[in-house]
Amino acid sequence: MADDKDVLRDVWFGRIPTCFTLYPDEVTEREAEPFYLLLPRVSYLTLVTDKVKKHFLKVVKTEDVGEMWFEYEGTPLKWHYPIGVLFDLHASNTALPWSVTVHFKAFPERDILHCSSSSVIEAHFMSSIKEADALKHKGQVINDMQKKDHKQLWMGLQNADKFDQFWAMNRKLMEYPTEEGGFRYIPFRIYQTMSDRPFIQKLFRPVSPEGHVLTLGDLLKEMFPAAICQDDEPKKYQVVIHGIEPLFETPIQWLSEHLSHPDNFLHICIIPSPSD
Amino acid sequence: MTHLTRCVEMSDDGVLDPGHFHLDEKSFRFCCQSFLQHSDLLSDGWSWTEVKGSEGFMKKTVLRPRRNSPLKTEALDFMTEEEKVEEEEEEDAQVECEKQDVVVYEYHVLYSSSYQVPVLYFTASTLDGRLLSLEEVWNSVHPDCRTQLLNEPWNTLTQQEHPVLGQPFFMLHPCRTEEFMQPILETARREKRRINYVVTWLSVVGPMVRLVVPVSYCTVPDQNRV
Repeated sequence: MADDKDVLRDVWFGRIPTCFTLYPDEVTEREAEPFYLLLPRVSYLTLVTDKVKKHFLKVVKTEDVGEMWFEYEGTPLKWHYPIGVLFDLHASNTALPWSVTVHFKAFPERDILHCSSSSVIEAHFMSSIKEADALKHKGQVINDMQKKDHKQLWMGLQNADKFDQFWAMNRKLMEYPTEEGGFRYIPFRIYQTMSDRPFIQKLFRPVSPEGHVLTLGDLLKEMFPAAICQDDEPKKYQVVIHGIEPLFETPIQWLSEHLSHPDNFLHICIIPSPSD
Repeated sequence: MTHLTRCVEMSDDGVLDPGHFHLDEKSFRFCCQSFLQHSDLLSDGWSWTEVKGSEGFMKKTVLRPRRNSPLKTEALDFMTEEEKVEEEEEEDAQVECEKQDVVVYEYHVLYSSSYQVPVLYFTASTLDGRLLSLEEVWNSVHPDCRTQLLNEPWNTLTQQEHPVLGQPFFMLHPCRTEEFMQPILETARREKRRINYVVTWLSVVGPMVRLVVPVSYCTVPDQNRV
């Protein structure tokens, strides 16, 4: 369907207007102007912030410069989650632009992964794709690809305008035998801010043993039943993917094919409903 | 049914099933329970951490003298076995040295439902709490186990988020586990030997990051045979 291809484009070109400010304690030589950027939802913070780094390094004393990291309202941001997930999880229902604080000191190494070079991001991205394919096809599709095919996926992610290049390869990771009605298991992660655990990730098939197509609602019923409210109670949670709340009736296989991030995982954020 | 027999049955149901060399989550638990029983006998220091509403993991903390030979120079490979033993002994003698010379390793064995195999996570820090960097950890990998690391460091050992604790840990990538377990399990099957998947797997991957599994885990008859 032509419409469905448009969904892939909309997801790929999703942007979040963001305002970066330097952590006040780190300003030294002169005042740092904030820096504004449109961040791709499907990318990673450390992959798209070279300009931010350059901008603030002009005003920070060289001896104070450690590894750059980001924080939103006191929470260190995990760069290895896609940008859209960080925004949906921590800053949904807040005013735009998203206000992110930049640090060059006191790297919180007990909370976030180091990211010394783009090789670290590439390794993380490829290992997510591999894990997703282990779930979808027992790893057979990704293992049958050549090194240059892996590179094509990674290069695609690095350049926002490489939608076609990325999807020419990613298409293969989205295939499945028609008679099975979907992937072996759906690669998904459910995040909530209120939990001790970073995310929920379990095995879930797109089709029931009786042959019924399973939906987002079925997934939530099993993994996080509190997200589904009864008719007579007020809505407690929002279930957000790429900034929208998909209908619970949406087949999970369709979501996996169309709303997954380039890492091939369907990232689902569960956040408290705004209390207005 | 005892945990023990269940673990052994796993060998029949799962591992002995032709073409399948993975481990389901229940079998993982039983293998771990059997592993922990033997650890208690040896006072080997392993314990189980239960996680609310979910799977748990096996854990062990060890203090070791620092070993740091850069990844690129393979000097240690030219030593004779005797020299290696001497060097190890020297290292052991230095345990009482400065804080920077002792590394605290915390090993966690988790189950990966995606790959259906166990996965080894660990942290390494100095006594004053500084975490070792990825480069330091790569450099500390045992020289005998470096081939894979030198070929594909980013597919072998990297920093990852601990899936239960949400904190940065180092992880030995699980995507090759099924591949190297296959011949071991096939041989065991041919020779009609029962094996504990977790024991076998950990004795292969552990030494790479200085985690040694005493041989008695594999030889205790009650644990591995009916």
